Amino acid sequence: MKNRILQAYQQAPWRTQIQWVGLFLLGLVLIASITGVYLNISAQAATSGRRIQFLEYEIDVINNEIAELTSLLAKEKSVEVMKSKAEAMGYVPLNPYDAVYLEISGYNPLANVVLAPPRVNTVSETPTILSSYKTSLWQWLVQNIWQSPSDEIQAEGELLP
Amino acid sequence: MKPPFYRRYLLIVLVFAILGLATIVQKVRINHTSFAQDLIAKSESYRGQRKTIYPPRGTIYDRKGNILATNQIAYEVGIELGDVIDPESIAFAASSLLDGVDYLQVFGQASTEKKPEESRYFVISSFVSKDKIEELERLKTNYAERRKAEKSLKPSLSGLVWTPMYQRTYPEGTLAGNVLGFYTYFTRENAQGAYGVEGAYNRLLTGKPRTFFLPNDPYLVEALPDIDPGASLVLTIDREIQKMLEDTLQEALDWSGGEGGTIIVADPKTGEVLGMASTPFFNPNEYWTYHEIFPGITPFNRAVGTAYEPGSVFKVITMAAALDSGKADLNTTYNDTSGVYWVSTTWPIYNWNYGAWGLQDMTGCMRHSLNVCLVYIAIDLLGEELFYDYLQAFGFGRNTGIDLANEASFPLRLPDSNEWASMDLATNSFGQGIAITPIQMVSAISALANDGRMMAPHVVRSVIDKGQQYNVSPQLINSPVSAQTARDVTEMLAISLEEESSNALVDGYRVAGKTGTGEIPTELGYTSSLTNASFVGWGPADDPQFLVYIWIEKPTISQWGSEVASPVFKDVVEQLVVLMRIPPDDLRWQLASD
Repeated sequence: MKNRILQAYQQAPWRTQIQWVGLFLLGLVLIASITGVYLNISAQAATSGRRIQFLEYEIDVINNEIAELTSLLAKEKSVEVMKSKAEAMGYVPLNPYDAVYLEISGYNPLANVVLAPPRVNTVSETPTILSSYKTSLWQWLVQNIWQSPSDEIQAEGELLP
Repeated sequence: MKPPFYRRYLLIVLVFAILGLATIVQKVRINHTSFAQDLIAKSESYRGQRKTIYPPRGTIYDRKGNILATNQIAYEVGIELGDVIDPESIAFAASSLLDGVDYLQVFGQASTEKKPEESRYFVISSFVSKDKIEELERLKTNYAERRKAEKSLKPSLSGLVWTPMYQRTYPEGTLAGNVLGFYTYFTRENAQGAYGVEGAYNRLLTGKPRTFFLPNDPYLVEALPDIDPGASLVLTIDREIQKMLEDTLQEALDWSGGEGGTIIVADPKTGEVLGMASTPFFNPNEYWTYHEIFPGITPFNRAVGTAYEPGSVFKVITMAAALDSGKADLNTTYNDTSGVYWVSTTWPIYNWNYGAWGLQDMTGCMRHSLNVCLVYIAIDLLGEELFYDYLQAFGFGRNTGIDLANEASFPLRLPDSNEWASMDLATNSFGQGIAITPIQMVSAISALANDGRMMAPHVVRSVIDKGQQYNVSPQLINSPVSAQTARDVTEMLAISLEEESSNALVDGYRVAGKTGTGEIPTELGYTSSLTNASFVGWGPADDPQFLVYIWIEKPTISQWGSEVASPVFKDVVEQLVVLMRIPPDDLRWQLASD
């Protein structure tokens, strides 16, 4: 009786082989998918890293140019240069007894000069790279698959100033 | 019963077990050999590099926002040995285009044997100008074209690299150099601000360097946080006034034959120093010439760094003390019958011309600058205790606290000191036997030009840090005399100049002032014929907006302050009123009444 039941439900050998092959291929596809996702994320992270390095370099270049131009402008506007330019244009130093004075209300020649940049809402020092670019595949899976959406929103919210 | 091939299986298992064990043992051994730490360190260096970023040093502005000190870009030129192909071309290019670079030395460095496991870098030259770098770039391009045409590897400047770096620069050259001080940028990480503002505010200007680990692994790269530059400073100095003072001082020295000098212009109401000229002038762009320009004990800035016996300008302090204490008033008289005052019946004090000037009121004493009258005031009216109390109230004997590095002060010899003698009271009353710095006199006299309120002299007006500008508030040091006394002294000195038809008078502007001729002590006493000529003046007398102090050291054209320093005061004020937009008195009164 037992043999009959087994025989009735037993798979044909070729079917069992196909199932095993199918299972193996499924595993292979899964591994290939995971590898693909991993490679994709890794490539993006590497590209972002290189982009950051390039942008840092560009910031340095721009800062250097600003410093260069600032010092050049300061030299061009120095007292000696301005004086020689004024003399070349025919100006002469003002004799105090030839000066004409006009009263301008509110004008204070000794008023404080304001050189600080205008106040803006400053952003506190926070990481500028999304956390997803810095996490391992395992952490990414944990965050995106097993964690609830509310947890994720909270985690992203940490980036906000 | 053992399975078939049992022994063979056992042998294979044993072989693999031994191999595994040997691998573990070898790994442990490797980690404990002498090379292990080197290998670990080397692997760390492959991971990235630790880099300290030095923030750019803060900029220094004058009171109108003109730059007095900033940073420009210069370059460090070096050899990256691993990339060198053609040492001869590198040595030729470096030695022919860069100053002070030796061909053989560079050739030797560029020819150093390469080791694949180690990257080597040699610095050839630092702080190379952009022009030189552009020439190097042009040469590099030419070589590249030649290689392409000749299809060869040489000539090549591969391995010759340059990296930008900040270099302190002072676009105005010598202007205000003695106030700014300098920054020893050639010493790189150990660079320091020295003297003047650079020295006094070195830490603030420097900012905080920060060290980061910069990984080579692109997965670990993060954006560097912004590094705040050093704080910037806005000075109270006005560069136009400064320029005028330096030009006027140089002309005065050329004309008078003086050895050196200083001129200070300050706002007595706030203590702000508007200009401070001092010789010898100094270009902080070439700070390594310091020892040539200031040999021996030559002060960097004699306005704050040198104490001297000022002579009769100090009589202003004695007179202010007498009036404020009530020991004398404007109508008090002194009858100068002999032109000599005997101190303790032993030491004679004479007038400047050894003459007797008869009956004089207090204004007459100041107008004729009578030593005997001032000695009488100090000894017979004030007495030693009151006199020195006033001197200390005026800040003599201690630093003014001006925010410039290396301020000097000479201790006040007081009656309770063993070094003090009764003669000191007499000589101190007319500015001899007492050493003061010009900035101490400016600080003290500011009380008389500002209704009795003595303001702290300072040169920094604002600090700009982390994007915010913080203004420095004027600070009251002391009120040594009342407002009435200050006005009385001002009026007295204005009348003195007018009645004397002084060389210091300025058409259209009523000013108060006092000359000073200080004898210079030698080892044998006051035997030198050379003097220190000084003048202190302020104006307009009814509403002082400037205070000018002049000191010409050892003039040869004349020994008298009235002949040397007074005309310089006039020159300064005539230009100053234009630069400060101060209209003549009558026009100012008219504008005020409208």
